[in-house]
Amino acid sequence: MRAIVLDNEAVQAFTDPAHRKHRTVVAHLAAVVVRRRKGAPVTAVVPTAVRVEAGWDRSDPRAAAVNRFRVTDIALDTVAADAAAQIVTRTGVSVADAHVGAVPRALVDDEVVVLTSDPKDMARASAPKPITTVRI
Amino acid sequence: MAVPHLRGTVGDVTVLDVLDEINDLLDADDDSTVNTSMRLPSALRDAAALAVEHLGVAPSTTNLTVGALRSALETAVMAAALEAHYREHPDARPLLAEIAFALAAQDGSPLADRPDIIERAAADVVARHPAADADDVLLWAEAQQAVTP
Repeated sequence: MRAIVLDNEAVQAFTDPAHRKHRTVVAHLAAVVVRRRKGAPVTAVVPTAVRVEAGWDRSDPRAAAVNRFRVTDIALDTVAADAAAQIVTRTGVSVADAHVGAVPRALVDDEVVVLTSDPKDMARASAPKPITTVRI
Repeated sequence: MAVPHLRGTVGDVTVLDVLDEINDLLDADDDSTVNTSMRLPSALRDAAALAVEHLGVAPSTTNLTVGALRSALETAVMAAALEAHYREHPDARPLLAEIAFALAAQDGSPLADRPDIIERAAADVVARHPAADADDVLLWAEAQQAVTP
């Protein structure tokens, strides 16, 4: 399975059609559809701490459009919170970025691709787990 | 006349409502099962049983069927959600080359550093195959690079 992870700016761009990077993020989601149509196991995910930071409230009627594209939540559960806390202590990144960094630990068998405006921070947060970072 | 406008609006709203309902059903925490009246070709059922038993494609034919159906539905919803978004925001529709570029980046392909090659490949491949998708563009671009001295 390949998991396409949205960071804070990717979510901001995805949820706001006027954002200058909106079409870029939409292209990545369209790419997910292309691969899925060929049977490839690809999914789009968002760490819940990222949703908090980005203000993406799924229960808000204004979020209905972005909710339709099945971007799955990665919950900040006990295990993820411990991992994220270690990442914050080690790197000093934000809570949301630390939760992104904890995703490869949660999806151990998956290939993790992070859409981000800051590939270096994301690689640092997820280390030593290997990820693919894509600058948006 | 208001009727065409109303039809279009009602039609789109219906599609969005259907997408929301499908999403709700796909996300439902529901372990109940139903004996479906769907008719499965017996040869397909037997092929699935053999694949489960000898190829290990899934724990059971039910798992195989459910997984395939879920995946197909999720993909259909994603595609329909994007199309609905494009109808509301036409400028949000990415070009074929932009989707191919996104795929190259997700793949970690060296082509992700060569948007010029991807744009040219998209133009070339669509001229010959109008229904080509982003993967076709990447394949075309790689093939062109392989034969270019």
